[in-house]
Amino acid sequence: MSAMPWPVDPPALRKLGESHEAVVERDLLATLDPLGRRGRVWIAGLASVVGCALVAWIYQLVHGLRVTDMGNVVSWGTYMTNFVFFIGISHAGTLISAILRVTDAGWRRPITRMAEAITCIALLVGASMVVIDMGRPDRALNLLLHGRFQSPILWDLVSVTTYLTGSFFYLYVAMIPDMPLLAKHAREHGRSPRLVRMYEILSLGYRESPEHRRLLARALGAMAVIIIPVAISVHTVVSWVFGMTLRPGWHSTIFGPYFVIGAIFSGTAALITAMVIFRKAYHLEAYLRPEHFHKLSKILLALSLLYAYFTLSEYLTTWYGGTEIDVRLLALLAGNGTVGAVFWLWATFGLFVPIGLLLFPSKRSMGSIMTASILINIGMWVKRYLIIVPTLETPFIPAQNAGITPHYFPSLIECTITAGAFAGFVLLYILFSRIFPILSIWETAEELEEVEHATVRAPVKMPGRAMPAALPLLLVAVGLSVLSPWTTARAQAPAAPASTTHIDLKRTTEDKEEMLVATVTANGRPVAGAVVVFSVLRKFGTMALGEDQTLSDGTAAVKYPHGLPGDSHGEQTFSIEVRSPPALAVPPVQVILGGAEPVRITPVEVPRALWSTRVPLALVGTIMALLLCVWSTYGFVVSQLVAMYRLPKEG
Amino acid sequence: MYMTIQRRQFLKAGMVVAGGAAAGMLTRSHAATDESTKSSGRPAGEATLALTAEGDLVLASAPSGASSHASDEARRGVPGKKWVMVIDLAACDGCGKCSAACSKSHFVPADREYLRIFKMQDSADTAPYWLPRPCFHCDNPPCARVCPVGATFKRDDGIVLIDNERCIGCRFCMAACPFTARSFNWSRPDNSPAAEAKGYSPEWGYPRRVGTAEKCDFCADMAREGKLPHCSGTCPMGAIYFGDENEDAVTNSKGDTVQLSKLLRDRAGFRYMEDLGTQPRVHYLPPADRRYPAPGERGANTLNASKGATQR
Ligand code: SF4
Ligand code: SF4
Repeated sequence: MSAMPWPVDPPALRKLGESHEAVVERDLLATLDPLGRRGRVWIAGLASVVGCALVAWIYQLVHGLRVTDMGNVVSWGTYMTNFVFFIGISHAGTLISAILRVTDAGWRRPITRMAEAITCIALLVGASMVVIDMGRPDRALNLLLHGRFQSPILWDLVSVTTYLTGSFFYLYVAMIPDMPLLAKHAREHGRSPRLVRMYEILSLGYRESPEHRRLLARALGAMAVIIIPVAISVHTVVSWVFGMTLRPGWHSTIFGPYFVIGAIFSGTAALITAMVIFRKAYHLEAYLRPEHFHKLSKILLALSLLYAYFTLSEYLTTWYGGTEIDVRLLALLAGNGTVGAVFWLWATFGLFVPIGLLLFPSKRSMGSIMTASILINIGMWVKRYLIIVPTLETPFIPAQNAGITPHYFPSLIECTITAGAFAGFVLLYILFSRIFPILSIWETAEELEEVEHATVRAPVKMPGRAMPAALPLLLVAVGLSVLSPWTTARAQAPAAPASTTHIDLKRTTEDKEEMLVATVTANGRPVAGAVVVFSVLRKFGTMALGEDQTLSDGTAAVKYPHGLPGDSHGEQTFSIEVRSPPALAVPPVQVILGGAEPVRITPVEVPRALWSTRVPLALVGTIMALLLCVWSTYGFVVSQLVAMYRLPKEG
Repeated sequence: MYMTIQRRQFLKAGMVVAGGAAAGMLTRSHAATDESTKSSGRPAGEATLALTAEGDLVLASAPSGASSHASDEARRGVPGKKWVMVIDLAACDGCGKCSAACSKSHFVPADREYLRIFKMQDSADTAPYWLPRPCFHCDNPPCARVCPVGATFKRDDGIVLIDNERCIGCRFCMAACPFTARSFNWSRPDNSPAAEAKGYSPEWGYPRRVGTAEKCDFCADMAREGKLPHCSGTCPMGAIYFGDENEDAVTNSKGDTVQLSKLLRDRAGFRYMEDLGTQPRVHYLPPADRRYPAPGERGANTLNASKGATQR
């Protein structure tokens, strides 16, 4: 840790006679100097971890997700945790830097670029975790070909893409004024001409002129404003992947804000950690001054208190309400087992200890801020894990009741890939800082200048279109059945027994009761005392209606099965069997009678419902309107950059 | 390909061609339906005439592997049908034969079950019972809601199926199903030659595809042919009824066909976790007046003693 005393006054940076800009340029460009041995070892080490992770991923692609410890009960694990974690720390950048920019907090200047770079890189790593978690990454294109806007995954896809585009823009626009300097510096230091060319192209011909400044300010201002709602929407939507399900511990109304606060919380901690590391590695003590840490640590304290508040409000209501499933989840989550131990470890070291470290201004040393940040980073990863896994281990019908104990612990492959994700994040960050100064030169110079002067939707509609369609049909069918006399059908038994037994079936009304009457005749004469079994045909069998003995006129009757639908024309197939006397017994004879209630015709048109293939219009309308707002702002920013590029070049 | 000929037209034609034969056909319509069920074993493309219980004459060509329009048909479902299941908890003795028959006919690997039997006891004072849990084919299915690519879909006949050739393996559906009815192909499947020979359709879900989700399919292909699902047809207690809600009738393995509405009314049928609003198509009859020793009692089944080693 730096030996800098605490607190210190803003340092006197200048050698006599040097301008601010000259000093800042000299110091910050120095961060681009070739790495020493230690730096190279670090890069090699990180790269080899990433390499191992790639090998692990290939192994997983070959063997399937069996190489993880996930199963049919706990079907998400470490990869999802990583996804939520990285999307979370991506909020460092945008939110911190955009909020500070919008509120014009002057001290933000040396840290905005660091924050924005965290955003872009964390988003890339986070998005790649989803691909790694997919069972069929080769089919990712299906998301575009068959995407359903009813699925929160599509919301994720759209918002993360929007956010990624936006944060790259934001990072880039804020870097434009540094580009001419970088080109000059690279040229002077004999760097490769291609690098010089890249800086030149990226500079868009920027130079210090009022017109350039104006256009840049407009682009940057628009970007800083629009990126805030985009960032909030991203983590809200990530939380909704869980919140939109019916699972205990996930189906919570505060999940959106809970995740957003958690994201800014872990993002700020990540930013502080990065600042501490770069400050030491690149000797930026003069620029990343204690006051920056001091101010950020106050924000971090506020956020940790907010996160503690959300956590309390989430779990206290769950616990106090105490539904069966919630009680079971909490018993696992905060109970006596391993998971419970991890939960309380997190609450202690991921929340209470950092709060304690940050709470008292007198105790807020660099060391304690740094410790708090690192604890929070680890803690937030653990917390994401605790949100995902225990809920999956608590299905509504306990798996234990079928003799299955759900368990999950990251496998070696999952650990390797996770290590690779973290190493990749750090590696990309270092590489970024090798090409672009990690502190914004123009903004830092601006700050010092200032310091000097100071010392001087719509409900989802499920249209019942089937009803109007079915109604006339129903009326026609009823009308027909009233108009026509009860259909009488006559069927001949198969030739099997030599006797010519006939069964006539009709539907009549006797004593105000509708009856099904079968008349049995043998050789033209009615048969008395025969047992007739009545049933009606259904898809998978015959439903018995009853049996009766024929009277002297050869008739047997049972009650007509009211309310049993017929086919689409209101016709029923009855099966009539004469069981005795044996001489007359014939196999079942099937007779069709009309006049039953026609079968309800199911709607052919698929409704616009969340589950159907047709998206509810209000939903897609809302998404499109939001996207239009954001992307048109991006368009405005691009137009400002184009205008800047078109300005007359110098000389 | 299905071609529906109105029976009246058919009758007319029949009378002209061979009146007697037509009558014979009608009287044995049930046999004809049974006949059509064998069509899957016939060479592809051969057509069979079948008279459905609804009374429509249907010209059905035998399923011919995974052709694209077979998949269209598998997505639409059987017109005019609303499949429904009723499980009689008073009759289930937890023997597990349903699940075994299901697994056998669907070539289900040992690490999962489509139909899982849980030993339940709602509170210390209430009686224990067995709860066979297939997929509920919910009418408001959370799984289909969250599927990003429409690989999980609900058909007009009520069945919720998975298209394993579209599924991207995100497992959101598994997280979303409150009943843990879904399984995943974690490893490369070891498809048997029989499974490979049949060819893929969402209606039976095999040959399996690695990295995709799967679950109970209500034996959609069997229902189409008028056969009870394997679980229902196998249950020695006749505890699993299956049928068409539109017809208001369900049938069990003992050949009892009963009126659905009456059965649910008389026996106080209920749906599991109605409060979640998923609107299952599987109803239960309460475990009152049981016909077997309760779980835990002497002589009761101990089927699910421990699967922990193979299933998770
Ligand atoms: S039981 Fe589960 S898998 Fe089956 S339809 Fe309902 S939500 Fe989907
Ligand atoms: S795992 Fe497959 S079926 Fe399930 S939600 Fe994802 S894409 Fe849909």
